[in-house]
Amino acid sequence: MKEIVTIQVGDFANFVGSHFWNFQDELLGLAGDPSADSVFKNQDLNMDVLYRSGETQQGILTYTPRLVSINLRGSLGSMSSRGTLYTEIAHTKPDVVTWTGKVSTQASEPYKKNLFLRRLYEEEENLNMVNEIHDSNNGSQSAYQDKDIIECLENGVQCWTDYSKVHYHPRSLYELNGVWANVEEFDNYGIGRDSLAAQGEEISDRLRFFVEECDHIQGFQFVVDDSGGFSAVAAEFLENIVDEYTNIPVLLYAVQGSGSRPNLQSKKHTILGDLHDAVSFSRLSSYCKLIVPVGLPSLSESKASRFLHIVDEKHYHSSAVYAAALHSISLPFRMVPNGPTADACSVSGAVDVHEVVQMLSGQGRQNMVSVLDVAMPAPALTGGQNELSLLENMQPLTPQIAEDVEDMQAIEHMTVHGALASEGHRASVGEVKDTVDAAFRCANTRPMFCHLSVALCPLPIPLPFPLIFGNHVGQHGELMGGQITNSSPKGSLDIHSIPMAARLRSSSVVLPFLESKLRNLNRFGIARGAAGAEILRSWGFGREELVEMEEMLSKMVVALRPPHLSSDSD
Amino acid sequence: MSLRVLNPNAEVLNKSAALHMNINAAKGLHDVLKTNLGPKGTIKMLVGGAGDIKLTKDGNTLLKEMQIQNPTAIMIARTAVAQDDASGDGTTSTVIFIGELMKQSERYIDEGMHPRVLVDGFDIAKRATLQFLEKFKTPVVMGDEPDKEILKMVARTTVRTKLYESLADQLTDIIVNAVLCIRKPEEAIDLFMVEIMHMRHKFDVDTRLVEGLVLDHGSRHPDMKRRAENCYILTCNVSLEYEKSEVNSGFFYSNAEQREAMVAAERRQVDEKVKKIIELKKKVCDGSDSNFVVINQKGIDPPSLDMLAREGIIALRRAKRRNMERLVLACGGEAVNSVDDLTPECLGWAGLVYEHVLGEEKYTFIENVKNPFSCTILIKGPNDHTIAQIKDAIRDGLRAVKNTLEDESVVLGAGAFEVAARQYLMNEVKKTVQGRAQLGVEAFANALLVVPKTLAENSGLDTQDVIIALTGEHDKGNIVGLSLNTGEPVDPAMEGIFDNYSVKRQIINSGPVIVSQLLVVDEVIRAGRNMRKPT
Repeated sequence: MKEIVTIQVGDFANFVGSHFWNFQDELLGLAGDPSADSVFKNQDLNMDVLYRSGETQQGILTYTPRLVSINLRGSLGSMSSRGTLYTEIAHTKPDVVTWTGKVSTQASEPYKKNLFLRRLYEEEENLNMVNEIHDSNNGSQSAYQDKDIIECLENGVQCWTDYSKVHYHPRSLYELNGVWANVEEFDNYGIGRDSLAAQGEEISDRLRFFVEECDHIQGFQFVVDDSGGFSAVAAEFLENIVDEYTNIPVLLYAVQGSGSRPNLQSKKHTILGDLHDAVSFSRLSSYCKLIVPVGLPSLSESKASRFLHIVDEKHYHSSAVYAAALHSISLPFRMVPNGPTADACSVSGAVDVHEVVQMLSGQGRQNMVSVLDVAMPAPALTGGQNELSLLENMQPLTPQIAEDVEDMQAIEHMTVHGALASEGHRASVGEVKDTVDAAFRCANTRPMFCHLSVALCPLPIPLPFPLIFGNHVGQHGELMGGQITNSSPKGSLDIHSIPMAARLRSSSVVLPFLESKLRNLNRFGIARGAAGAEILRSWGFGREELVEMEEMLSKMVVALRPPHLSSDSD
Repeated sequence: MSLRVLNPNAEVLNKSAALHMNINAAKGLHDVLKTNLGPKGTIKMLVGGAGDIKLTKDGNTLLKEMQIQNPTAIMIARTAVAQDDASGDGTTSTVIFIGELMKQSERYIDEGMHPRVLVDGFDIAKRATLQFLEKFKTPVVMGDEPDKEILKMVARTTVRTKLYESLADQLTDIIVNAVLCIRKPEEAIDLFMVEIMHMRHKFDVDTRLVEGLVLDHGSRHPDMKRRAENCYILTCNVSLEYEKSEVNSGFFYSNAEQREAMVAAERRQVDEKVKKIIELKKKVCDGSDSNFVVINQKGIDPPSLDMLAREGIIALRRAKRRNMERLVLACGGEAVNSVDDLTPECLGWAGLVYEHVLGEEKYTFIENVKNPFSCTILIKGPNDHTIAQIKDAIRDGLRAVKNTLEDESVVLGAGAFEVAARQYLMNEVKKTVQGRAQLGVEAFANALLVVPKTLAENSGLDTQDVIIALTGEHDKGNIVGLSLNTGEPVDPAMEGIFDNYSVKRQIINSGPVIVSQLLVVDEVIRAGRNMRKPT
């Protein structure tokens, strides 16, 4: 078995992570639920890759994510940073045994648990109380409750713990303290710098705890919210990781929430934001093998949300889409390998993190920046004539990329899971492979190489999933044509699972993204009399460092430029 | 206002408002932290919104726990935290000293005095106080055999302000022995060589010093011994797991056999490394009853663990980087980065190695070592907040002992220094100062008294009575501190109350600097970004 340790740094990264773990939890639950669809029964997915088995001091067995999550103090809402699994048997009153003098207690007002968390809590209590009765679905009264819960989440999600149904290990959630900046101010590279200083060792120690118990770790899945100070925290952390675990590959997702930057009022703030993006990208990319920028400035208006109904301001919404894509990409990492000929089973195309990283970034151009595309939900393989095919439906989640660029050297890693052949009928692994092959054969632009992973199991939609599906989407994620009723967006009550397709693409379409970073760094940071030179100095960057960053970026750009263009410009 | 013309969003506070904003922020922090001070202070239990409990009596921890927003308060907090980083203690004293200086200044400024003049006075007073400190400190000679008693007194003074007496006294011995253990002649003391490990188990009084090392992980093979005596210890940083090389990424084989062959070849390389270790083990252990323990910073995969277990070797993987250094200091030998040149000289030795399991957590004890220069303080406690608090106290104690060894001097505690310095400033220095700067010296001198005053207040004594008694006794020519039990003047040397010289110096140095900066602020401009939340 080859384990993956996941690291989430920053607010939005944890929003994404929370959805991601909800999917995993749902899969685990469905696998053990006798009344669930049979595709969930035998998934041929090894969840131990992402999860660890443990035991509390009372001897209760636990199964928790291999996860280190970093966030600011106070961002966990009503969840305790130690989780609830391993808490000691509650004392009636917390007594102070180390001090005989006076004690002053300063209790902040307890966070109110929302309906969803209250329900989780009650379910757990019930499970402990009555073990014999399997309360499969709490009948009619629960449907009413479910509706309330969803509405409550839809309007009231403040932090990522509000909709998390997963138990975390006490060492998983780390709160940075002593930053003395509120969330809105923690918004640039400079402010996050050095905030790890004293706590770096503690965080590394927590990571070591999860790595030590891996027999053969295949890689780190690192999600960072790079819209603010956390990119500096992540860069520092990554530096440690590269140092300590030299040969373990890191798959880095740099996520940004839609509209995560408040309306920039002045030119100065635009410069600040642009510089931050440039610096943060070049710092992060220098510590990993493969970086995937994720996060459109406006997801709701993008093509990726053709069938979705997103409200950009809600991180709860956009993070769900990104998490679904991350889930799809991560499926091949935990497929049980069956040998090359076993076609009949439910998965095919297992790879590990190392192979994906090598495949995408280790070839000729050494392009380490990949684009994430998604089709959510993926269309049926034999859709009607007026529907787009699977390949055409893949839309990017990476910002600032070129469209309709032909790149002969593109390399792709694609995962399709739970695809439907036609209405209501699930396609077998072989069918999916054939269809994709056929699609590539008749497509005008073809990548140089495409690795395809297929799984039968669709994306399950857990209860706390937001109401983001448009009314074209059916109960099993099928796309229904024709009927246009202006009903409200659908969520987990109407839709149980959806087919998904996602891919990582190493291609020159990412050029505009890189060029804009390079341009901004140059114009605001390095050029004579640059407007942002002072800012960079206050962030602690010397000129040499900046020039180094610039060189690295321009190397990336040159490698991707079509040959005739690059010879012109130089 | 001209700024309004330039930027209509700008907020401006004028001179007196700006000053009062700064003074109030300083007073606010002062009020929060003052109850912490001293062995009679109040411990704070912080209960978070999610029910998390944190216990602390440490100013440093408290400051970090608070979500401070006020910019002035943040400036003061940073000074105080820097104080802790530099000398390990005195955060609370710094904050209350700054607060008191601001309070004293407020009085004079309200009477129309210019802050600049006050600041000049502070500067004179500060220099005089530092000179006085040099005279007042008690030198201690720290040759090859340091005076353990004085070290214990310093450690006890610190730890007693954080923990109840009998636990504090128990920890004092542990702390002093730990520092003396890692102390090498002619070298700076590296406190990182004292490992602090904790177990959520039993009671606080079960905390103990382990001469040797405790690792927070165990072997990962069911057949490895859980307890072994007479152990050779191999400390290494060698990957003993199968890793894919960069060149072959799994897609470019022409057939399955080729792939197999490649994998087998790479596996063989790992096996070779393991065999070299086994060879060394046979060389040193055959024919004796000694055992062999491998502690590796890199990974060891199950096939390698199997091979090692078959030979009766205990192996631990992914040890902390810092433990590599500690192991060598505790057990001897050297840390090796390659198995190519293994010799028996690389090996360290420990009399006893055993594993302790608590739920899913494993601990490996490496004990009975010869002549260690690294050791472990093993904290036990029934719950996390107790452990965290003991840990903070131990850190402070260790720093206090280290400071004493490095300063080669201590300062009498219990407010004795502050009272003496105040009298010195009032009676001698003030006269030599020309003009109104005298008032600055006076303010500074009175601010010094905040330490004995707060100590008295926290003990439920009357501050005025105490100060009068103390200054009176002092003017009779005695050196006096405050007995918190009786409220009477005592000689701190008799009670064994000593503070660190470097901590005191740091407080006197950094406090007035920040106060001077804050006092001469005459406008606060909040321009640029709108601080209010968008949306």
